[in-house]
Amino acid sequence: MNVNAVGFGTLVKREMVRTFSIINQVIWPPVIQTLLYVFVFGLALGSRIKDVQGVSYAQFLIPGLIMLQVIDQTYSEGSSSVFQGRFMNSIQELLIAPMSAAEIVLGYVVAGVVRAVFIALLITLLGVVFVHTAPTNWALYLGTIVLVAILFSSLGIVFGLLAEKFDHIAVLTTFFITPLVFVGGVFTSIKFLPPAVQRISLVNPMFHMIDAFRYSYTPTGDEPLGVALSVVVVLAALALGTALLMTARGVKLRT
Amino acid sequence: MSVPALRIDNLVKCYGDFAAVDGVSLAVEEGEFFGLLGRNGAGKTTTINAIVGLARITRGTIALFGHDVERDWRLARGTVGLAPQEYNFDRYLNIRDVLIYQAGYYGLRGAAVARRADLLLERFDLTSKAKQVYTRLSGGMKRRLSLARALIHEPRLLILDEPTAGVDVELRLELWSLLRELNGRGSTIILTTHYLEEAEELCDRIAIIQSGKLVALDSTRHLVGAGNLQDVFLELTRR
Repeated sequence: MNVNAVGFGTLVKREMVRTFSIINQVIWPPVIQTLLYVFVFGLALGSRIKDVQGVSYAQFLIPGLIMLQVIDQTYSEGSSSVFQGRFMNSIQELLIAPMSAAEIVLGYVVAGVVRAVFIALLITLLGVVFVHTAPTNWALYLGTIVLVAILFSSLGIVFGLLAEKFDHIAVLTTFFITPLVFVGGVFTSIKFLPPAVQRISLVNPMFHMIDAFRYSYTPTGDEPLGVALSVVVVLAALALGTALLMTARGVKLRT
Repeated sequence: MSVPALRIDNLVKCYGDFAAVDGVSLAVEEGEFFGLLGRNGAGKTTTINAIVGLARITRGTIALFGHDVERDWRLARGTVGLAPQEYNFDRYLNIRDVLIYQAGYYGLRGAAVARRADLLLERFDLTSKAKQVYTRLSGGMKRRLSLARALIHEPRLLILDEPTAGVDVELRLELWSLLRELNGRGSTIILTTHYLEEAEELCDRIAIIQSGKLVALDSTRHLVGAGNLQDVFLELTRR
């Protein structure tokens, strides 16, 4: 048995069971939050804003909101599942089984990707119903979600391994993810910002993710698609590599 | 000569400067009922963790049925089932699924696994709780579930870390009967316990660890001699 495919599949399935057993924490909040953003910012305030990148403000908002929720949910679920497994010791079920670090990490990451695609599709449906917008490039739509979900699921694993208490997991969300996503182009094109701030935005990784994803809805973005996607691919590879290395070394898993 | 179920050669496990296990060597033959005794903090659980891969080995080697636990870890881990001291069940799964998913992690699936899970639930008198999560079970039921989970992938070696801690006399006797039955069917069993009469009753051979070092390894009969295990244990582990 060189690859434990059944073990990997079992872990993915287990993560799905977990997701749907806490559906009110994982699935519905991003949907409800998005609905509120769409009504308050998109439809109420947005009606006073003229077109952005050739579409209405509410239509401009939808891809950014999808990325916001994909990023938030994949990180928080990845990290809390790993941390909870460590805290309750239930992760030992995996550690004593004939499963490699790669099978364990990929199990968590693939589950994160599935969860992200599911949440994204629900929000996309909201966009179709309330804002009459839908992706025009489905390959880019799915590809970007998969890459971003790999990146943040992997980061979730890394922080789930490093954390000593639940509070530590929130550090990345509170001080980095949420602020960077909000200033990364969810609510506005960076072209609306002063030139100096535009240049700063280029070092914000969230800007590249949101911009790459927005290309799946509108044919224009704030930077070339190739650049945006390259940044996402490199970051996803780095995060996945770090999660694999830490799990293989047994950081906070094996004494 | 057959390959031992477990062979530990000069095992050292350090945490910083502290040697939790310090040069332990022993072998457990296939089919044996083996006791690993020691005071709290003597190094029993660390030794077990090193065997099952939860602790990294500082020096020395461990082999399960001839498979090195570090080089041939995948084959080695497939041979062993662990019932740990602390309950560590998956709280999102009902107890039938706890067994089925555990089998999945060992690469097993399908109708045969589901049948085996049902048989184990029946054998351990847990069928009526099959759809409940483990938090709803009594202490004794959790102990039985722990044993069932350790057995789901039909391991050749069963390691039980204080399986009767905190259970009442009736359940302890019931667990003894189960363990004897498993051993009678050919399972090799390694048991750690603080109940010396339990080790005396069940084990063919006993190893005693004190401060990470092996201080006794003999057949239960020889070790006890004309006295009782408690006196021998206290003598050997006097600080």
